[in-house]
Amino acid sequence: MFRKILIANRGEIALRVLSACKELGIATVAVYSEADRHSLHVRFADEAICIGPPRSSDSYLNIPQVISAAEVANVDAIHPGYGFLSENANFAEVCEASHITFIGPSPTMIRMMGEKDRARAEMGAAGLPIIPGSDGVVPDEDAAKKVAAEIGLPVMIKAAEGGGGRGMRIVRTKRELIPAFLTARAEAEQAFGSPNVYIEKLIENPRHIEFQVMGDRHGNVIHLGERECSIQRRHQKLLEESPSTALDSATRERMGRQVVDALRKVGYSNAGTVEFLRDASGDLYFIEMNARIQVEHPVTEMVTQVDLVKTQIRVAAGERLDDAVGPFQPRGHAIECRINAEDPDTFVPSPGHIATFRVPGGPGIRVDTAAYADAVIPPYYDSLVAKLVAHGRDRAEAIVRMQCALDGFVVEGIKTTIPLHKRILADPDFVAGKFDTHFLERLAPVEAK
Amino acid sequence: MAKKSKLESSGGTEIRGVDLVEVERLLAFMEKHELEEFEYEREGVRIRLKKASTQSGGAIRVVSAAELSRAEDMPSPAAKPGGAATRGSAAASGADLHLIKSPIVGTYYAAPSPGADAFVAKGARVEPGQVLCIIEAMKLMNEIESDVAGEIVEIFAQNGSPVEYGQPLFGIRPQAKK
Repeated sequence: MFRKILIANRGEIALRVLSACKELGIATVAVYSEADRHSLHVRFADEAICIGPPRSSDSYLNIPQVISAAEVANVDAIHPGYGFLSENANFAEVCEASHITFIGPSPTMIRMMGEKDRARAEMGAAGLPIIPGSDGVVPDEDAAKKVAAEIGLPVMIKAAEGGGGRGMRIVRTKRELIPAFLTARAEAEQAFGSPNVYIEKLIENPRHIEFQVMGDRHGNVIHLGERECSIQRRHQKLLEESPSTALDSATRERMGRQVVDALRKVGYSNAGTVEFLRDASGDLYFIEMNARIQVEHPVTEMVTQVDLVKTQIRVAAGERLDDAVGPFQPRGHAIECRINAEDPDTFVPSPGHIATFRVPGGPGIRVDTAAYADAVIPPYYDSLVAKLVAHGRDRAEAIVRMQCALDGFVVEGIKTTIPLHKRILADPDFVAGKFDTHFLERLAPVEAK
Repeated sequence: MAKKSKLESSGGTEIRGVDLVEVERLLAFMEKHELEEFEYEREGVRIRLKKASTQSGGAIRVVSAAELSRAEDMPSPAAKPGGAATRGSAAASGADLHLIKSPIVGTYYAAPSPGADAFVAKGARVEPGQVLCIIEAMKLMNEIESDVAGEIVEIFAQNGSPVEYGQPLFGIRPQAKK
């Protein structure tokens, strides 16, 4: 087992990793930017090393500084958390070259899942259902007609070389197809210098469902159930829950098996999340995989009672999955609300000094946070202040516990998304389990430009 | 090449490049004067000790570790500025000192190789661009240059010790270029 681990992150996840290390009797080293000098992870770690000025690129993303700190502190392993360097295959390789264990998947896996096109191809080849689409670029009008007929309308035409909505067209009727194809090509040429487009089936009003997986270094892979993350704003998750009200046990079992089989085939190890879109008819399509621990991992931890971060450390140290995870039984329902330092209506960021910070507690309530009264939320990093998680015997109990916890969560000095979460939890469609990724648009029409 | 110094451990508390005996003396001083928190800054050296009275574990943080030998002079607590006896003159000119701080994390070496003469000594005159020390990071030797002309008044880092970003290495009294 590792003697000492460096935590290459900050905020709540750095504290989370720190707790896991402490429980395992492993010494901890925090690295921090000058803006985080008074952070909790710095104060609670056994050692702390300043690695740069506030800007992420000069500190938390600065590979030479992080590795140098790891060498100077003589650590055995680095846990990258989420974000920052966690999906940087180059960083994982530098760790290996420096004889420091990177607590996460192999550089090969990180690279594979990081190239979204490639991940889609590999996972498709490994047996996961992928969004039906053209096999690469659609060269001409005849090919466009053929592809559209094969996959069925509606379809989305997308620029191969770019994004941001340009070179994209939604086609709902046969009549629209060729005009849309031609204008999409023209737009793509204008915007990206290449007229190349591909065509994908349009999943309307999808639900975002993801499976938590864990692999060891001996070829074993398991899944720990799914999370539903459809409550999103501009592709940023706000609220997550497990299990999903959209999956029946047969689908869960089938998809879980397919996911595990596919990951065994490609040789995946350590933590990861396999993301799907579910269409109106109930079909699930693989969209991408995140080769790291995720923000919303506590939802799965509350339902399974499995400590995912400790498990990551143990499998990275070579333990077999059976020993590292142990037997588990999913129980009850868990919901997580991401409390961000943002205006709840306009989403304008609200960094600054926290005057009051009263955190709720009681049965089934968990709060992951690095914030505290008198702390300053710096403007340089993401706006996540706290993760509030509620667990209950069923979804109804989880919801009412979350509502009461939100009422008891008092934050003054900065604005937070707590009022928005209260509105979500009170919404009849949410309570009925009837929603998709456009739910928040319908709920919160007021948005900042 | 000098061996990298390993960080010393004392009951789970790690302090970089700092003699724990001196820290204990500072703590005794705090006890004697019933201080909860003690911050001491002079010539760019800053040490802050806070009693973790309400926390379990009683971890003690040393911020910006530096040569603790000057702690012998034990100045009055932060509330009363002004110096101790012997290093008074240095304290008085503390405000004039230009600090060279480490731009990277690594191991500080005073000389280009073990056994060789140090790049600079106290009292030495330096020019902008002159190499003052080496910081080794990831097997690469990084030369740290002075950005001013002046006299080396203080050398804060210890040969072979780890240094962090922003850690003061040298105190230079700027003087006009020759």
